[in-house]
Amino acid sequence: MRGDRDSNLGPSGHRQTTACTRPALRHQSAPKIHFCLKIKAQEIHVGDVVWLHENDEIPCDLVLIGTSDPQGICYVETAALDGETDLKTRIIPPISANLSVEQLGKVKGVVECPNPDNDIRRFDANMRLFLPIIDNEKCPLTINNTLLQSCYLRYTEWACGVAVYTGNETKSGMSRGAAEPKLTAADAIIDKLTIAIFMFQIVVVLVLGYFGNAWKYTEGLKQWYLMYPVEGEAPWYDFSIIPLRFELLCSIMIPISIKVTLDLAKGVYAKFIDWDEQMFDWETNTPAHSANTAISEDLGQVEYILSDKTGTLTENKMILKRCCISDTSYGNDNGDQLNDVRLVNAISSNDPDVIKFLLVMALCNTVVPIKSNDDTVSYKAQSQDEEALVNAAANLNMMLISKDSSTAEICFNGSKFRYELLDILEFTSDRKRMSVVVKEGQTGKILLLSKGADEALLPRACPGQQIQRYLEAAEMYSQLGLRTLCLGWRDLKESEYKEWSKNFQEASCSLDNREFKIAEVCHSLERDLHILGVTAIEDRLQDGVPETIKLLRNAGINVWMLTGDKQNTAIQIGLLCNLITSGPGFESRSPRIAQAGVRLATDTLPQTPHRAGALCTGGKTEEDILRSLERALLIMKNTSETKDLAFVLDGWALEIILKHSKESFTRLAMLSKTGICCRMTPLQKAQLVAILKSAGYLTLAIGDGGNDVRMIQEANIGVGISGREGLQAARAADYSIGKFKFLKRLILIHGRYSYNRTAFISQYSFYKSLLICFIQIMFAFLSGLSGTSLFNSISLMAYNVFYTSLPVMTIIFDKDISETTVMQYPQILLHSQAGRLLNPATFCGWFGRSLYHALVVFFITISAYSDEKSEMQELSMVALSGCIWLQAFVVTMDTNSFTYPQILLIWGNFVAFYMINLILSAIPSLQLYTIMFRLCSQPSYWISMALTVAVGMGPVVAFRYFKNLYQPSAINILKQIEQSNGSIQTSGNLESARAKLTNLLTGSRKIRDSNYHPLLSDSAESAR
Amino acid sequence: MNSHAAGTSNGGSGDAAAGGAARRNTRMPKYSKFTQQELPACKPILTPKWVVSVFFIVGVIFVPIGVVSLLAARDVVEIIDRYDEACVPSNMTENKLAYIQNETISKECIRNLTVTKDMKQPIFVYYELDNFYQNHRRYVKSRNDAQLRDASKANQTSACEPEKTTANGQPIVPCGLIAWSLFNDTYNFTRGNENLTVDKKDISWKSDREHKFGKDVYPSNFQNGALKGGATLNPKIPLSEQEDLIVWMRTAALPTFRKLYGRIYFDLKENDTITVSLNNNYNTYSFGGKKRLVLSTATWLGGKNDFLGFAYLIVGGLCIFLAFAFTLLYFIKPRKLGDHNYLSWNRHPAGR
Repeated sequence: MRGDRDSNLGPSGHRQTTACTRPALRHQSAPKIHFCLKIKAQEIHVGDVVWLHENDEIPCDLVLIGTSDPQGICYVETAALDGETDLKTRIIPPISANLSVEQLGKVKGVVECPNPDNDIRRFDANMRLFLPIIDNEKCPLTINNTLLQSCYLRYTEWACGVAVYTGNETKSGMSRGAAEPKLTAADAIIDKLTIAIFMFQIVVVLVLGYFGNAWKYTEGLKQWYLMYPVEGEAPWYDFSIIPLRFELLCSIMIPISIKVTLDLAKGVYAKFIDWDEQMFDWETNTPAHSANTAISEDLGQVEYILSDKTGTLTENKMILKRCCISDTSYGNDNGDQLNDVRLVNAISSNDPDVIKFLLVMALCNTVVPIKSNDDTVSYKAQSQDEEALVNAAANLNMMLISKDSSTAEICFNGSKFRYELLDILEFTSDRKRMSVVVKEGQTGKILLLSKGADEALLPRACPGQQIQRYLEAAEMYSQLGLRTLCLGWRDLKESEYKEWSKNFQEASCSLDNREFKIAEVCHSLERDLHILGVTAIEDRLQDGVPETIKLLRNAGINVWMLTGDKQNTAIQIGLLCNLITSGPGFESRSPRIAQAGVRLATDTLPQTPHRAGALCTGGKTEEDILRSLERALLIMKNTSETKDLAFVLDGWALEIILKHSKESFTRLAMLSKTGICCRMTPLQKAQLVAILKSAGYLTLAIGDGGNDVRMIQEANIGVGISGREGLQAARAADYSIGKFKFLKRLILIHGRYSYNRTAFISQYSFYKSLLICFIQIMFAFLSGLSGTSLFNSISLMAYNVFYTSLPVMTIIFDKDISETTVMQYPQILLHSQAGRLLNPATFCGWFGRSLYHALVVFFITISAYSDEKSEMQELSMVALSGCIWLQAFVVTMDTNSFTYPQILLIWGNFVAFYMINLILSAIPSLQLYTIMFRLCSQPSYWISMALTVAVGMGPVVAFRYFKNLYQPSAINILKQIEQSNGSIQTSGNLESARAKLTNLLTGSRKIRDSNYHPLLSDSAESAR
Repeated sequence: MNSHAAGTSNGGSGDAAAGGAARRNTRMPKYSKFTQQELPACKPILTPKWVVSVFFIVGVIFVPIGVVSLLAARDVVEIIDRYDEACVPSNMTENKLAYIQNETISKECIRNLTVTKDMKQPIFVYYELDNFYQNHRRYVKSRNDAQLRDASKANQTSACEPEKTTANGQPIVPCGLIAWSLFNDTYNFTRGNENLTVDKKDISWKSDREHKFGKDVYPSNFQNGALKGGATLNPKIPLSEQEDLIVWMRTAALPTFRKLYGRIYFDLKENDTITVSLNNNYNTYSFGGKKRLVLSTATWLGGKNDFLGFAYLIVGGLCIFLAFAFTLLYFIKPRKLGDHNYLSWNRHPAGR
């Protein structure tokens, strides 16, 4: 990992010997200048001062103590760590801000930091520098004061820092966890079948062994030419010899090659995904990628999709669409940009509220303006919302020109204003708001500017203010599917600020529970706000999302949306993207039992009305929530149309439900096709996945941001969208795609084909092994149950490794029905979802087929080659050829589409069998010598082969044909439709058919759980 | 079987053309029909027309082959004589084992065979053993091919247990149970006064004589032990010329088997009586095996085995029957292929 990169190392320090007073403080260091040298990254020790130049990769976790920038800022690219491509600013801790370059080398001090962990967003440490440099005060350190390993230093001439974590103890090193290997559902069934076959093998061995011994004592001892040792002379283990010989013979019953063949096939499936041109995203230039090559079959069996909203369903390209300032709501229905004339007028007339509003938009953020050469300013932001706000403010003449750690410059209507940035009260997902404290350059007034979620900010409004209209505006905006933010401000008195600042400083320095303490302190300042208005930012749905969701739901997949957003927005997006069906008929049917699902911060807000097709679960108290859950469950159970009902749940309700009645929630989850969970924390998302997984469902989690990583890792299949929130999710995922819409292709095309192919390959592998094994067992009855192998070892080995494993590989090119048909009839996914192609029943079919074929081959062989022809080598070769002929026809029979590689491999292998055996027959030292030449010149050999094929395949063809015509499975029908139409026309009744299917889906799934359905058994289901 | 080339729908290629220049820098996967799984494919399905015609054609081909094979098998004239019981002197039928193991009793035996049909030369003389497990694991492994082929490898007796060496450690050539238990009944044929000489040349495979059994390998220490198995070998004759041994060592895969004893180059007429004077030496009495002498002619298909003929007739007949049955069924109960209404999600009414 840590190659031999050279890094320019500053003065090399050594570990200080000061005793650690607390075990938590692992690293104490005191850099001391000695000399400057270049060393390898692996030689850096904790406490060394490391000097970096522009574009260097950071070799270990450093605490920044100096940069070339006079403001003490440097920029890092953290793409390797969190996938976010924007630049992040890192600041020198104030304590070392005034150090000169010379001093940096001589500096002595102590850094107290926690044990290494993998949290790349937190670094709760402090630093103390020793005399004679500066005072002895503790200075808090945050993640903003660090340079983390594997990031790059950008736009900064040099920077230097003290190494705090090195090697695998760095944040990046600790994040590298070994991913748990995932086992697909198909693999699990294969494993079970393997165990079943193993048991069968043991039984066969025991039975044959017993009868073998019995034959030996009743018959074998009489066969003088066998010269069995007389009783008493035989070794003690004599009784076990025959069973062990049978064990040896039957060991081929379990195909060892299956793992290799399947792994190879899985590798090809993964490659097909990587290669798929139709899953290539032109906008972001990203192809689909499958990081996990082993689980493609699971894609075809997905039952639940749990999707993130922002960035996954939506584009995560935010644009300010509307706003509500004071009494006025700006922006109209078709308003593209916020270019409402009234707003422009209000700005030009210097409406104080509007100007303040714009000021908050421009200042209350962590955006970094970057000035390019032609004097235009572009913004780098970590939050898309903030970028949208700053951009919108700039469009409305309130331009943020420059910003550093302490000051910001605003250009409004041509004149520049300076603001001193005193403190930033950062955004956390718990607080749901952020604030900045600024000092106006000219007036010296101190202002608190806040923005945050409406339920986080409105309750903190100053008592007198009317907030009702803002609530209504927020409500209205979220119904339009817009993301709302509330803006507010207040004046701070100098004294108040000073006192608070001290507390804040203290809280920032605390080592444990810092986040909580800071939140407390911030809380105390963010009160009595003067609410300015509400912004509404549009996050557009990604291209093709509604169609994709509709298709996936038609395919019988339950789609849940898990979002951190608020309920209204979530439901609205749900409606927009077909997650919830709304219709006039629905309103009446849907039960009006809903409570407000949102946990409200205060009781002043009205309850959220119930929405069409959505069953909200929630309430203010625990009892409320649990009661509403029970009611929802009851309704789900009793109403026949509930399948289209979605349940809506928020994070708080989930927490309580999980604590008190996990089972009823699991039942609810199983009953409803759609779920919308809002206000979810990353952990809760993962918990939901775990619940569904524990109920035995195959889950797919899709997300794009760091907050989805846990869910992605927890699910059976994790899909990451390489989107704007960085590559973090894509890195953790098994598959990464550029857009949500590619999911349908990933599941319906790649997943389905992979499942079908694996189902065939695995069962065929058992079939061919059983075939040859059954022949051996039958031969045992003609060879005195002594365990003679009919086939020689070369043939046996080549049979498994060569003759039979190559043709079966052709199935990786097979397509039962064309891609267009699958997309037209997504319901067909139900077949693979319910495991119709690979289950004990289908396996029994293959088992029976191999038994039948073994009987055919064996009896034709011994009948045609009896009496004077019953030479061992010849007979064995005839039987082997029979197997090869049959297997070539079996593969042909089960291939749905023939492409030239398939024809080439199946029949090429067939030809190769003869070539190889003819060559082997030319080597005098082999037992096979001349056998194949003799056989090929005998008419009876060829006649026997033709007979074997006819008798072996005839019933299979007849049976297939009969089923195909009179009891066709859905796949059969679609194949026929494909044939008869050439191309498919959407028939009129298709839509209604789909609607009917949705009613069937839950039922079908229940049936699947209780017993398996063999392929071609739709009728069995209908009889139920 | 119907077939059509799968249409190649490439939605992305339109964009591809648009982005022609950008393509060089893009991470877009290289387009090929193979990687896009768009190779032209033939998709046969089992339509009535195809299935019926396949069955019919197979039937039409199989029946004549069956007839020809059956005729060929019927052409063969076979005389089978079981002599193991008959050759035991009447006073020893209660204790056949004692008879066969007593070397002092003469094993000569005369059998008269009547030719049922004209037999053209060459007439193959087989001996048939029954309930004799040449394919027993203990037996089939008990040989050493290297020793048989190469005189310098006489000491290689591995796998030959328990007939490896003599009591004093000398290697037995040819070693092993197979050689040791070599069949040793002999037959002489006369028709009236005419001696029907049995030609015992070329009864073994040429390849065996030339490559498996050495021209300079001579039997040594063979059948010298206390326990005599079967025939002895003339130590003056190399193994490659010991054709009875070579034939015997081509082990049979089934417990009932025939091995070639020799050929008679005389035409036999119907109702000819052939006198066989045989030496009934070989012990099959201990395990109740039968011994038969078989005189048989041969055709292109081999001996008198009508299995293939009958099998072809039956299979061919069944195929034609199925073809008609399917046709009939199709007209009685016609089904439209690819009917939407048969789709499971279309078939069931809502609610269950």
